[in-house]
Amino acid sequence: MTRKLSRLALWVIVLFPFGFILTLSFGQRWPYPRLFPQSWTLSNWIEIGQSGAGITSSFWLSLSLSLSVAIIATTLSFWGSRQIAFHPQKQVLLRFAYFPYVFAPVILAACLQYFFVRSGLYGQLAGVLIAQLCITIPYGLLFFSSFWNPKRKAMEESVYTLGGNVWQAYRMVLIPTARPTILTCFFQLFLISWFEYGLTQLIGVGKVDTLTLRVFQYVNESNIFLAALASVLLIMPPIVLLWLNKRYIFRLNTNKDLL
Amino acid sequence: MSYRMLNQWVGPIIFIALSVVPLLLGIGYALLYSLGLTGIINNGFTLAHWHTLLQDASFWETIGFSLVVALSTMVISIALALGLVLREPTRFQRPIPSFLMYMPLAIPAIVMAFFIFQMFAKGGWLSRIAFQLKIIPELQSFPDLINDNLGIGIIVSHILMAVPFLVLFFTNIYQNEDIDAYRKLAFTMGTSRKMSLWYVQLPMLLRPAQPTLFLYFLFVMGSYEIPLLLGSQSKQMIAVLTIQKMQRYNLADIPQAYAISVAYTVVVILLLYIMVWVSQKNRSYDP
Repeated sequence: MTRKLSRLALWVIVLFPFGFILTLSFGQRWPYPRLFPQSWTLSNWIEIGQSGAGITSSFWLSLSLSLSVAIIATTLSFWGSRQIAFHPQKQVLLRFAYFPYVFAPVILAACLQYFFVRSGLYGQLAGVLIAQLCITIPYGLLFFSSFWNPKRKAMEESVYTLGGNVWQAYRMVLIPTARPTILTCFFQLFLISWFEYGLTQLIGVGKVDTLTLRVFQYVNESNIFLAALASVLLIMPPIVLLWLNKRYIFRLNTNKDLL
Repeated sequence: MSYRMLNQWVGPIIFIALSVVPLLLGIGYALLYSLGLTGIINNGFTLAHWHTLLQDASFWETIGFSLVVALSTMVISIALALGLVLREPTRFQRPIPSFLMYMPLAIPAIVMAFFIFQMFAKGGWLSRIAFQLKIIPELQSFPDLINDNLGIGIIVSHILMAVPFLVLFFTNIYQNEDIDAYRKLAFTMGTSRKMSLWYVQLPMLLRPAQPTLFLYFLFVMGSYEIPLLLGSQSKQMIAVLTIQKMQRYNLADIPQAYAISVAYTVVVILLLYIMVWVSQKNRSYDP
């Protein structure tokens, strides 16, 4: 009985933030000390469908930025990681890949602001894209570093022995073998970009108005209902990606009980 | 240049151009700025900004506060995650519990901060419940749980984000290291539950987890969005203090902001060295 109760409590704690934020996104007035909003409305959600709405444009901007970052960073890091994995200075190079994270991306962005100003990328979408690539490519390299092993190298070399070229080795052997790893890396890089706030705010100077910036803006304006709505929009794509990704998680557990 | 040659060198060049070069440029520029060698108000080499910073008690408080927040988050999160995993080690290997544990990972830091703000603020949900239950007579009687000097809101937010990650992480180690087999072996050799926990399960879980736990510690220490929304003005975390100093109208604050960035880099490098030293020392004890 105690175990069942503790399980239930755990799931309530896990799922409560989702329910709470979703509920707030339908609220309109919430005077103290009411536990739930006094009136409910669909107007916040209907506004999303209107093309001129700021929150809608932020959603599409965030989505296109994160998809671009994920596609470019996954491609470059998969390609680059192969060379680094068999490089004599592999350990040194990989150690450098940790640094953008341990130094905090926002502090790194603050130190790089000057160079973005000089190059004319400050406050530009291209600037934010490049800045995000600076943190996603090292992550991708670290992610793929365990993929490259002597067995994969032997597979690649056997393509050359049989008369194939580099393009054929990637297209017919390496990419098909790495497909689940590439997909997982793509999801994770998408999420890093999708969740990014500090670096985007500093390099974009607030002009690259992504959804994370919107949440902060609405919180500062004390517009909690729109902040909740923007939060729901921020959470939705990762949940969908998780749902898609679960195939890989579930495949490992097919012979076990569901609960 | 042949295609194979291009294929061999382009990867490291892209990595160096997009990761190593920006890092060195950023730290180099911050160091030069903090020494008065570049920037709007540079008057030639000076250690004055460093002198001011190192004499400033609030800087040391910020470093200390960031360390305490990161340490508290890690200790509480590790304890909770270990408790959940060791209670039922196979539970989070199953599809639905593991999927539910993955779900909180879909919450960005800024949304978690917003959620905690709505829960813990004086006019938040917990305060409303306390009022309805007549635990507090008025809104002002509710304790300061956010924007407070103890960083309660910041720590709770980080814990809610860290625990699901650590549960999945420890579950993975438990499965990969086949800890259950060692636990059963320990029982057949006559150990008690307590001894098996302290001498078999915990060391086998924590030793391979050390580098990741340490990196997570650094991640919490350098976090920005959560302390920006939930922190207090008098006690700030390192990233918030750096950015605020950089964005103030007082130009004299900018070199100090860069000095803080360099000082933080030094602290992180020192901590990384300690981590490498500890992990090498641990490895040297292995048979």
